[in-house]
Amino acid sequence: MLAIFLLYVSVAGGTPSIQPSQLHGRTGDVALVGKVTGSPAGDAQATGLRFRMRDVSGQSASVPVVYRGSVPDMFKVGREVRVEGRLQNGLFIAKKDSLRTKCPSKYVAKKT
Amino acid sequence: MTALALAIGAVLAVACVVFVALPFLREPDPVEDRLDEPGALERRALELAEERDRALAALKELEFDHRTGKISDEDYRELVGPLRARVAEALRALEPHAESTEERVHAAG
Amino acid sequence: MPELGRAALALSLGLALYALVAGAYAAATRRRRLARSAQNALLAAFGSTGVASIVLLGALLRNDFSFTYVAEHTSRELPTPYTISAFWGGQEGSLLLWLLILTGFSAAAVVLSRRSAPDLLPWVVPILGLVATFFAFMLVAVSSPFQTQLAPADGAGLNPSLQNPYMMIHPPCLYLGYVGLTIPFAFAMGALLSRRTDELWIVATRRWTLFAWTALGIGQLLGSHWAYVEVGWGGYYAWDPVENAALMPWLASTAFLHSVMIQEKRGMLKVWNVLLVILAFCLALFGTFLTRSGVISSIHSFTQSPLGGWFLGFICLITLGSVALVISRLPILRSKTRMESLVSREATFLYNNLLLVALCLTILWGVVFPLVSEAVHGEQITVSSPYYNFFLRIFGLPLLLLMAIGPLVAWRRASLRSLGRSFAWPAGIALAVGVVLLILGAGSSWIGLLAYTFSAFVLGSIGYEFVRGTRARRALTGGTWAAAFVELVGRNRRRYGGYIVHAAIVLLAIGIVGSSAYDTVRERTLAPGQTMAVSHYDVKYDQLVRRNGANATEFRAILDVKKNGRSVGTLESGKNSYRAEQQTSNEVGIRSDPLTGEDLYVITDQINQNGTIAFKVLVKPLVNLIWISGFVFLIGSLVALWPSAAEQRRLALRYRELRALARA
Repeated sequence: MLAIFLLYVSVAGGTPSIQPSQLHGRTGDVALVGKVTGSPAGDAQATGLRFRMRDVSGQSASVPVVYRGSVPDMFKVGREVRVEGRLQNGLFIAKKDSLRTKCPSKYVAKKT
Repeated sequence: MTALALAIGAVLAVACVVFVALPFLREPDPVEDRLDEPGALERRALELAEERDRALAALKELEFDHRTGKISDEDYRELVGPLRARVAEALRALEPHAESTEERVHAAG
Repeated sequence: MPELGRAALALSLGLALYALVAGAYAAATRRRRLARSAQNALLAAFGSTGVASIVLLGALLRNDFSFTYVAEHTSRELPTPYTISAFWGGQEGSLLLWLLILTGFSAAAVVLSRRSAPDLLPWVVPILGLVATFFAFMLVAVSSPFQTQLAPADGAGLNPSLQNPYMMIHPPCLYLGYVGLTIPFAFAMGALLSRRTDELWIVATRRWTLFAWTALGIGQLLGSHWAYVEVGWGGYYAWDPVENAALMPWLASTAFLHSVMIQEKRGMLKVWNVLLVILAFCLALFGTFLTRSGVISSIHSFTQSPLGGWFLGFICLITLGSVALVISRLPILRSKTRMESLVSREATFLYNNLLLVALCLTILWGVVFPLVSEAVHGEQITVSSPYYNFFLRIFGLPLLLLMAIGPLVAWRRASLRSLGRSFAWPAGIALAVGVVLLILGAGSSWIGLLAYTFSAFVLGSIGYEFVRGTRARRALTGGTWAAAFVELVGRNRRRYGGYIVHAAIVLLAIGIVGSSAYDTVRERTLAPGQTMAVSHYDVKYDQLVRRNGANATEFRAILDVKKNGRSVGTLESGKNSYRAEQQTSNEVGIRSDPLTGEDLYVITDQINQNGTIAFKVLVKPLVNLIWISGFVFLIGSLVALWPSAAEQRRLALRYRELRALARA
C-alpha cells in the first residue's frame, strides 16, 4: 500500500534530469545537467547571467542558458552544474535560485 | 627510510603471527579442545530463566507504575494477581534445574 | 615508508581473512584453540591497521608529497589541525579510518564479550572478519592511500569549505556510528548461526547500539550545522543523498532501540528485531557506498570509481546472506506470545516502529528513484525537498504524538480510566499552548501549529513523568526533592535517559518547524549607506573591507543591525578567495539572538563592480534550538548508556548459573 503511494508521489513530483544533447524539442520543466562552456556574461542579480552548457562527456553542441538568482561559489567554465527550468525558443530559461554546482571531489555540498 | 620500514614491517609481521599462533603454542597437547556450547537442557533452562526474569521485571514495573500513578488502583488489583502467579510458575519451572545447578556449583567449589 | 603502510594493510587483510576462515571453521567444528586463535587475529588486525594509520598520519604531518594522497589533500600553508583531518578527507583515507575503527571496535567487542557472552563469540568473530576483509581488500587492491609519485613542490590543498572545525569532527563521528552498527549486526548473525533465540545478543550489544546511534545523531547534527554556517544557503538540510545516507541508518537504529524493549519485556518480535539490525547495518554500508560512488547524481558527487561496484556487490552479499540465515532459522524464532491490547505501551512502540521504518524506506526510495527511473525510462528523474518534506510531515507528526502518548501508557494493557487521568495534565498544557500560539499568530502555518501543540504535549508528558516519579520516590524514601530526583533517574536510567532524549528530539522538532514554517526571506541590492527591512530587523550596508587572511583574501561587508528600532551591533558577511585552491567561498553573517533563539542570516550573493552588493537576508526563528537539542540528546544518551551495577549483576548471574549447568 505504501509502495503504490510512494510510486505515485515520486513519479508525479519528480523532475527529469537530462543533459543538453537530450534537450532538443523537449517541453516542460527539466533539470539540466552539464558542463559550463563559452564565456558567461551578464548579471544574475539583474537582467540575467547568460552562459552555455554542453554534455558532461562528449563534444555535443551547447545550449544557451539564461539564469537569475544566487550563483554558487564554484561556478566557472568547465564545472559541472545542474539547473532547473524549461526550454523556450531554443533558449533554456532557468528557474530562479536553482543553479547548483557539483564539487569535483569530496563530500561537499555546493549550493547557494 | 626503507631499511627502517623493512625492520618495523618484519617485527610487526612476526608479532602478529606469534600472537595468532599463541593458543597453539601455549597448549601444544591439550586435554580437550572442544568449544562449550549449551545443550538442549541448558537452552531450556535459559528460556525458563529469561521467562522468570521477565515476569519479575514486569511485576516490578507494575509496582512502579502503580506508585507513580500511571496505573489506577482498580487496574493494579486486576493485573497484579495474574502477574504474581506467572512469577511463581516461572520460579517453579526453574526449580529442578536450579537445584541441580546449586549442587554442581557447590561441587565445583 | 609507504611500503610499510602497504605491508601493514596487507597484513591486516591476511589477519582478517584468517579470522573469517579459521573462525568459521572453528565455530562449525567446535575447536577451542582455533577459535581463540581467530579472535587473536582480529585483535592483531587492529594493531597492523594502527601501524598503517600512523604511517599515513606521519606522512601528512611531514608534508610528504611523495604520497599521492598527501599531495592531493594538503598543502604547505594548511594549518596543522586541518592537515590531520585530511586523513579522512579523501576516499582512501576515509576507508582506512573505517577499517581502523572497525578493527578497534572488533577488538573491544571480543575482549569485553569474553566474559559476558562467550557462547556467541565463535560465530561473531568470522562475521567481523568478513566485514574487515572487505574493507582491507579495498584498501590493498582497489583504493590504496599509499600510492607514490614524484613529489610536487606543493600539494593541492584542502577544499576551503572543509577547513572548518565542524568538518574535522563530523566524519569521524559519523564513522563511529556506521562502524558501530557492525557490532550488533555481527552479534545478531552470531546468535542465529549458533541457533540461539534468547536475548543474549541484544543484551551484549545494547550499549554498542546506543553508542553508534548517538554518534550517528551527533555526527548528522554537526554536518547540518556545518552546512548552515559554512556552505551558507540559509538551510541546514537539503535531502541530498549523502545526507540521507546517514539519516536512514539512524532511523532504522531508532526503531531497533525501541523494538528490542518489546523483546525484552514480552519475548516477542524476535524476527522483526533481527531484520531491523540487518537493515540498519546494510543502510550504514549503503551510506558509505553512496558517499563514494557517482552512481546517484548528487551535489556531493565523486569521481566515478571502481569502488562503487565492489561496494554494491558486498552489500548484496550481506543482505542476501543475512536474510537467508534469518529465513533458515525462522522456525525457532517464532514466538508464542501475542500482543494483549492495542492500547498498551507495546502497541505504541510498534506504531512508532512502523512509522520510523516507513519514513526510512520512503527516504530510501527517494534516494534510489533516479536509478530506478533510469532503468525504466532511460533517464534519471530526481525527487527533491517537496517529496521528502511531505513524508516527513506525514510520519513525523504522528511520531511526535506517539512520543507524548507512549510514556503515559503502561505496559501490557492500559484501561481508559488510567489513560484519561494520565493524559489530563499534559493534554491540557498542550491545548493551552496551542490556543496561545494561535492568538500570537502561529496560525499562518497550520502544520507548524500542530507540530508545536504536539511538542508541548510531549514536553508536558515528559515533565509529568519526572514529577510523578520523583514524588513517588520521595514518598518511598523521604528526603529532598533533589535527592529523590537523582535516585529516580539513577535507578531507571534507560527510562529517564530515554525521556531526556525524547525532549531533545522535541526541541529539534520545534527548531526545525520554527525556522522553516515561520521564517522570512528578502533579497535586495544595496549601495553603501542603504538599508533593507526584514521582519523586525533593519539591516544597513555600511562599507566593504578587504583583508588578507592565512590562506585567503577576505572581503567583508560591514552591516549595521537594528532590531525593533534599537541597534544591536554590527554583522559581517562576505566572501573568501582562496589563493592555493583558486576558489571562492561564501562567508555568511549570522546573528543569533540569545533570548529567542532566532537567527538573522545575511548572505552576500554578489559583490558588484559599482560597489553595490546583492544581499539575501533570512530571519529564522528558533533555529538555535536545533543545536541546543544536540546537547540535550547527548546528556540523555549518556544517562541511558551509563552502566548500571544492579543490571550487570543480574545478567552475569543468569548466565553464570547456566554455564555451571553446562559444565557439569
